[in-house]
Amino acid sequence: MSDFEPKIIAFLCTWCAYVAADTAGIARYKQKPNVRVIRVLCSGMVDPNYVLKAFASGADAVLVGGCHPGDCHYISGNIKAMRRAPLLRKLLEEMGVENGRFRLEWIAASDAPQYAEIINQMSEEVRSLGPFSPSTIK
Amino acid sequence: MGTNPVPNKKLAIFTATGCRACENAILDIHYQVSSLARCADIAFWPYMLGSEVRDLEKQESIDVCFFAGAIRTSSDREAALKLREKSRIMVACGACAAFGGMPGLVNISQWSVVSGQSQRTMDNKQQTNEEEKPELPPLESRVLGLPQIVKVDYLVPGCPPTQNFLWAAIQSLVCNGQSPARLSFAASRLPEAIAQAITSGILPPKGSIFAGEKAVCASCSRVKEEKRFETYKRPYQAYEELGRCLLEQGLVCQGITTQEGCGGLCTAMGQPCRGCFGKAEAIFDPGAKMVSAISSTFDSDDAQEIAALVDDIVDLVGTFYRYTLPTQCALFSTPSKD
Repeated sequence: MSDFEPKIIAFLCTWCAYVAADTAGIARYKQKPNVRVIRVLCSGMVDPNYVLKAFASGADAVLVGGCHPGDCHYISGNIKAMRRAPLLRKLLEEMGVENGRFRLEWIAASDAPQYAEIINQMSEEVRSLGPFSPSTIK
Repeated sequence: MGTNPVPNKKLAIFTATGCRACENAILDIHYQVSSLARCADIAFWPYMLGSEVRDLEKQESIDVCFFAGAIRTSSDREAALKLREKSRIMVACGACAAFGGMPGLVNISQWSVVSGQSQRTMDNKQQTNEEEKPELPPLESRVLGLPQIVKVDYLVPGCPPTQNFLWAAIQSLVCNGQSPARLSFAASRLPEAIAQAITSGILPPKGSIFAGEKAVCASCSRVKEEKRFETYKRPYQAYEELGRCLLEQGLVCQGITTQEGCGGLCTAMGQPCRGCFGKAEAIFDPGAKMVSAISSTFDSDDAQEIAALVDDIVDLVGTFYRYTLPTQCALFSTPSKD
């Protein structure tokens, strides 16, 4: 599986994580090209349906990026994302989606290096997990 | 009735892999059973008449087939294909036929993958043990709902289907709406297009589902206030016949994701909704919707407290997709034959 390139869908909040991703690009940090970014207004609006649909449509992993708790532009949107993540992760695990394929990360607008690191780390982790395909679930 | 110009409809009723409660539900339409006999000839019904699948060859055609049960074995598949070939109207009756039902939960386990192997060991046992035992037909690699192997004209969901919708389906498909007055109850709950078709005596649009349009909450009698989880409870730990919304009390009630039509029968008796009518139309994936609904009620901002709450909630797939795993789960379903 050396030529496997993971597809990672990243839902990034427009106020923090997306800005970090933008800055990481401008600052020319080295990043793996495996990420497809979807810009959302807040990590709190990332419905579990989006995550499942991403996996069902061929994503190998999903990243949700939001502001640090307490920093949310909408006061408590990221807390909503935080409440959702553990239960969603549990559901995904029961369906055979490994833990590393779904991540919720707090990335501040100034955290461009951290964003690049998360992307690189996640790409490698998913590469070692191999491709995800709903039809091959055991 | 000798003057009746409409010839009686030929009816077939069959259960593949299932518990036959759907067939009992057809018998459970009370005195209307006699009016069913007036407008239909039952041509094929293994459960009641002892018919066999090979008898179907003798039938030239069947008007309406009520097919219950999931597709688990190759003989289920053969029966489904044969009945589809012979029948003018094919109705998936009950949650198993319509969505894969509870037998479909086996798709989640390793067992469905190794079924070929367990079949072989079973055959070996039969050879060594020379007693005559009924043979298990070869298993399909995964359990499917009826719409995934043949084209289905109508769905009557429920586990088992509720009397009023079953009767509405029988009336409109078999009896051509000969007694519309009796249909008013079901018609008032059905989507307008189906209700109008039934009361005016024509066939409802193909693909219609005999169920409501909204979610079960719309017809649930319980009082909905502020939803907040402090602890999670299993149904045996809490029982309150009247009063507050079950989800608010910490029970995992699937009313919010489930298609309406039952009128909140279970929730009215203090049992959380189990989702036997399948997902409501507007919902993409029932499990994801339940995750969203339950987690938004967690009354905590602390990651560890949330993790502890989540630990208490067990068997998410078996709960959220109890009746619908093969057809309505975004990750496990395969497309239907439409």
